[in-house]
This record gives sequence, structure tokens and C-alpha cells, in this order.
Amino acid sequence: MSDLEILVPDERAASLDEVVGILSQPSPPRLPFSDSTVEFCAAFSQAIFQDREAARYPELAALAFWMRKAEIIRLRSDFERAVRADTVAAPRGLVFHVPPSNVDTIFVYSWLLSALAGNRSLIRLSSTRTPQAEILLRLWRQLLAQAPPEMQQATVVVRYGHSEEVTRAFSMACDLRVIWGGDQTVSAIRSAPLRPHARDLTFPDRSSLCVIHAGRYGELSEDGREKLAEQFFNDAYWFDQLACSSPRELVWCGESEPVRAASRDFWTALGACVRRRQHQSPAAVHMRKLVFACESILDLPVSEYRRVAETTVLQLDSPEPLSAEHCGGGLFFERSIRQLGDLAPVLQRRHQTLTHFGFPRLELIELARLLAGRAIDRIVPIGQALQFHRFWDGYDLLQEFCRLTYCEAAE
Amino acid sequence: MTFDELLSAPQYSLTQPEKAAALLPLLRELTAHHRVRCPGYDRLLQVLWPDSRPCEGIADLPYLPVGLFKSHALRSVPEAEIFKTLQSSGTTGQRPSRIVLDRETARRQTLALSRIMTHVLGPRRLPMLLIESPATVRDRRQVSARAAGVLGMMNFGHAHAYALDERMELDWEALQAFLYRFGGQPFLIFGFTFVVWSHFLLKLAGRGVNLSNGILIHSGGWKKLADLAVTPAELRERFRRDTGLAKIYNFYGMVEQVGSVFLEGEDGYLYPPNFADVIVRHPISLEECPVGEAGLLQVLSILPLSYPGHSLLTEDLGVIHHIDGSACGRRGKAFSVLGRLPQAELRGCSDVIAAQVAS
Repeated sequence: MSDLEILVPDERAASLDEVVGILSQPSPPRLPFSDSTVEFCAAFSQAIFQDREAARYPELAALAFWMRKAEIIRLRSDFERAVRADTVAAPRGLVFHVPPSNVDTIFVYSWLLSALAGNRSLIRLSSTRTPQAEILLRLWRQLLAQAPPEMQQATVVVRYGHSEEVTRAFSMACDLRVIWGGDQTVSAIRSAPLRPHARDLTFPDRSSLCVIHAGRYGELSEDGREKLAEQFFNDAYWFDQLACSSPRELVWCGESEPVRAASRDFWTALGACVRRRQHQSPAAVHMRKLVFACESILDLPVSEYRRVAETTVLQLDSPEPLSAEHCGGGLFFERSIRQLGDLAPVLQRRHQTLTHFGFPRLELIELARLLAGRAIDRIVPIGQALQFHRFWDGYDLLQEFCRLTYCEAAE
Repeated sequence: MTFDELLSAPQYSLTQPEKAAALLPLLRELTAHHRVRCPGYDRLLQVLWPDSRPCEGIADLPYLPVGLFKSHALRSVPEAEIFKTLQSSGTTGQRPSRIVLDRETARRQTLALSRIMTHVLGPRRLPMLLIESPATVRDRRQVSARAAGVLGMMNFGHAHAYALDERMELDWEALQAFLYRFGGQPFLIFGFTFVVWSHFLLKLAGRGVNLSNGILIHSGGWKKLADLAVTPAELRERFRRDTGLAKIYNFYGMVEQVGSVFLEGEDGYLYPPNFADVIVRHPISLEECPVGEAGLLQVLSILPLSYPGHSLLTEDLGVIHHIDGSACGRRGKAFSVLGRLPQAELRGCSDVIAAQVAS
């Protein structure tokens, strides 16, 4: 067990017994959104904003923005409004988080909602180290050193490689287990049993797409189109197009002539944005894209291949659903539909986020009702694909991190 | 020049302009041949190269990325005509490539390899020492890429002896016996570069073994040796010092393209034979690179009839040093292989992607 390390609250090698020991210490009860938790999160956000190293990574700024004090206060009032007068929301207890190894901020989002609900958290990081995660861990330790003792005992971040023994011990200790990282990780971690009352929150492999109303795109000003391309760029390229909510497919809605014009204009604008941001993928990513494009041409009704700098576009001629595999790095399937409802046949259970432009709210709600839970968990404007939210993958995460005590007085 | 003329002419005898002129019509014929016989190939070309501009030079020919053969076994012969299927070794966790050969392509492959090898070995079969365990080639029904390589080379020798035992340890007695019988005349040594270094050469130090009549041909890439910080020069120097062996030829080739066997000249550069060629392309723009500039290697060969593999973009980096200017008498492009394209660290929500990249 020599490879088990504690990273937060302090940094040191530890034995499994030690970690389990820390977790089984009695802790003072806390309710959701306790003042000390809210203060701590606000301070964490400040610390990220002020850190010079963190400033280099836009995803860290996004995280800090997301957990700034005003946002947490807003979250608190939303939460409190939703709790009925005859119930008391309380934390579940100990939450064991298994974040994905390659998106460096998920572990903080996952922790944040669980901590705001009043839970204690045990977070497992994999042996992949990234500069982003190291920055967050450093700031976290610094802040905890000055935090009240109940905060210090509320979070343990550990790092270990693949050890079934450790995962089993942690699984038996927790009240809720949160498994990110896709189908294989979910299956692997699930083989470790939980206590009878405990449950899993799982995040399997997902894929996402974008839909644009060609006519309304055509009505946009030059500036508006540039901005839309920027936002699409953020959604797609921030995590090399491999985040589950990044679009892999762009669907145009409209008649063929406006669609053709909009498509030509959009990819040109995106190309300009790629140049402005000086985004350049390593050669290996280009090779993956070329191989994946060839595979797609053989397996799908691809009618056209376009490649400009960092963007590869594969035109599809039929509403055939895509496979779950994707190469990432800026390869987009493109197709067109006449009306929003025509999306339904291409959507599958694994589809998570639909980013959109040019549709009124009612049409989007109508689509969600048509799908009736069969596909799509988020419908958000272009530019918000990666914006984390308490509503994720069909869950209200804040609710999931709580249990409810029903309380009825005698008449 | 026809295929047979290119094959029977002395290898490395054509200047680059002569060679390009000879290969172009044959390669274009192959493109047409595969378009007719392999619907998948035709479809790829339709979509990837829609404007059928004329190919004015070999750099204008369409190519496929070699990685495609991991997922799709493209072929231009009916199933009944498949004579054998080759599989690349592929690193752990990766799918191997599958390449199908019909009789004619297999015959061409044997012939081509022989034309290349006799150039350095001479026309006679030499006694052959394999830096291998006999176990590698025992099971002939399931032929690994490594075993296929060994079996192909075994044709150029006789009185085969294995220098390693079943556990890949030096078989001292077998080596002594071989050298006692054949050490006084030219003999052939063959093995994979990493095995030759770590299981053979390193074990010979200080034992006074005399390999000075040997001709070593080795292949399989430098990656593992580069990880140990061993250079080609060091391998040569060490062989010379510890065993007296001076004739050492590395070769570069891949399962995915039969006929592309690029053998080292005496100057240490690799040379394409008459019936194959190499182009270096910028790793991102894929435009042809000038001499001296490193990029992705594209390999061309007029051999593959049974699958569309006559023009392939590899995932190896290389550089052309000079053209028709060799000091060892070979004409054409002198190049070196610099290693695999470095794999990118990818991000994403699914851990599987990370695992694939790491493997």
C-alpha cells in the first residue's frame, strides 16, 4: 500500500488504516450551506483568482467564477426555496468521489456540491498528475491550514493507482459513491460493494452535439457570428473535444440553401477563431483525426471531407446515429434537418448536451418533451457546454447529495 | 520500366528522376487496380480526393494512413484468394493491423526481399545465426509479426542455429558450436535490434567471441534502445570492439506495406530499393518536406496487389538527407527514421481515452 498518499488536508504518504481512521472520526453534524462551508468555498474561489500560476488556465478561472461567493449564495437561496416546509434537508454523510483522470477540475466541482450539502468528502485522484490539479491541491492545503477544525476534518483527498483493496475499503466506508470517468471506470468501481444503505451516482460515457437554426444564423451581424464561433470554439476545443459535453456533431436546421450558406460562413468564422487563439494540436492528434475520418468514411454515409488547419468536417447525408467512439481534437460531423423535431431519430441514450442557437425556449422544451428522457440531459446555449451545473446528467446533484427528513407535527 | 525490370535491375542503381518516372505509371495503375477491386478504397478516394487532378509526380498520389488497417482489413481480392494474413505486432492495448496477401503478392514479396538481401549478402545462402529463441518460430499456424520476420529472413541462410534458448538467455554452447563450424567463413546473423543488443551483445562482453566474418542484419526499431540511450553508432562500435563484427545493416519496414524494405547502406543511411520509395511530409499540413526537414514518412511500393497498401502515410518520423548523392554508391533517397510520432496527452471525461493514449 506504499503508493497511497494523502494530498489534502496535508501532503504525506499514509497507510490505508490511517486514512480509514481519519474518516471514521466522529464529526460535528452540519446542515447544508453552513456558514463555515460557504466562507471556505468563497475563500477558495478568491485564492484561485489571485494565484498567478492558476491564471494561466482558463478552466481554473471558470471554476473560481463558478464557486464565487455570490454564486454560492444564489445556489443557497435556490436550494432553500425548493425544500418543503415539512422536510429537513440533511447531508448523506461520507461521499466517496472518483473523478475522471483527465478533466482536472471535476473533482473540485464534485466536492463543492457535496460539501455545500454538508457532507464529508473522500476524493480519489488517479496517478495522472496535471499542473492544474497540482495548483488546486496546493491552494486547498494552504486554505485548510487556516480553516476551522471542522473544515479540516471534512475533506480528505488521496491519490493511489489501481488498488482494489483500497477502493473496497473506501467503498465500505462511504454513504454515497460518485463515479465519474465513463463506462469502464463505472463498471470497475462498481464491483466493490457498498454498505446496504449506500448508493452510487454514476457518470457513464456520453457524447454531445450542437444545433443551429440556419435562417437565424444568417440574420446575425458579422460581430454576432464571430462571437458565436468563439463560443463554439470554447465548447469544442477546451478539452480537445473529449469532454462529454463538447459537441462532436453540428446539425443545421433549415432549408438547403440557407444551410449551405450558413455552414460555409460558420466554418470560416471558426477557422478565423482558431487562428486568433493560436490553437494548435500536436501532430499525433492530426493523425488520429485522419485515421478516424477514414474509418468514418468507410462506416458511415459521409459524403464530404473538409480539413482546414485544426478543423475537420465530415458531411453526413442521412440521419444515421453515430458510433460512441470519437477521436477528439476538432473533428465534426455535420448534417442538416428541416425542423428541430427531426433530431429525435439521431439521438440516443448516450447523448448528454445539446447546445443550440436560434431556437425559442418553447421549441426547446417541446423537443425535451418529445424525447421524454430517452436522450439529452442538458439543452444550453452555445458557449455553455462545459459550464458545470447542479443539474448534470439528469441529476440535481445538490438533491442527490442530501437526504430528507420528513417531519409532521400533530394537528 | 515494368515491374520485372525494376526488380531484376541492380538495386539502388536508378537515379531519383529515373526512378520517379518508372514508379509513377505503375503506382497510378495500382491506384486504378484497387479502386476497381476494393469498394472501400474507392469510397475513401472519392471522399478524400474528390477533385481527380492528374498526378504529375509520385507526391501527388493519394495515400491512406497506416493506422486505418488496425480497424479495417481492406482487400482487393475475393476471400477465396487470400493466401495468408499478416498481423502487425502492435503494442499492448492496441489492435494489430491485418493485411491480406494473395499468392502473387506473397510471391512478389519473397522475390523483392531476396533482391534486397542478396545485394549485401551475395547470391549464395550463408550459414545463419538467429538471435532468437527456437520457440519464436515453432508454432507455424499462428504467425506473429516477429515470427513472420524471422521466417522470411531464414530463406537467406542455411544451417540455422539459435543463439538464445527458450528463456531468451544466451545459449553459449549453441553459439560456440555454430562458430566452430562456420566462424571462419562469411555467415549471416539476424535478429531484432533490441534483442540483439540486450540479449546478445551485452552478454558477449569480455568473452572473446569472434564474429568478424559475420554480416548482421537487424530490424525492429530503435525505440526501446533510444529509451536506454543507445545510439546506432554505439551499437556498431560495441560490436566492433567486443566481437570484431563490422558489417552491420539495419532495416526499416512494416507489415502494412510489403516490399518496402529499406536497408542501411555502408554510410548508415536507409535506401529505398528500385520498387519502393519514401516521401517526407509535414506532420500537420501533410505537404511534402524539402530535403533535410523532418516529417512523417510516406512509403510507396509497387508490390501490393491484394490490398490497397501501395501508398501509405506512416506514423513514423524521418528525414531525407540527400538524393543521388551517397558516398556508398547507392542512388535515390538517403534517409533515416527518427522514431514514432510522439503520442499526445489527451484530456476528456472518459478514462478509457487516457488509458488508450498511455498504452
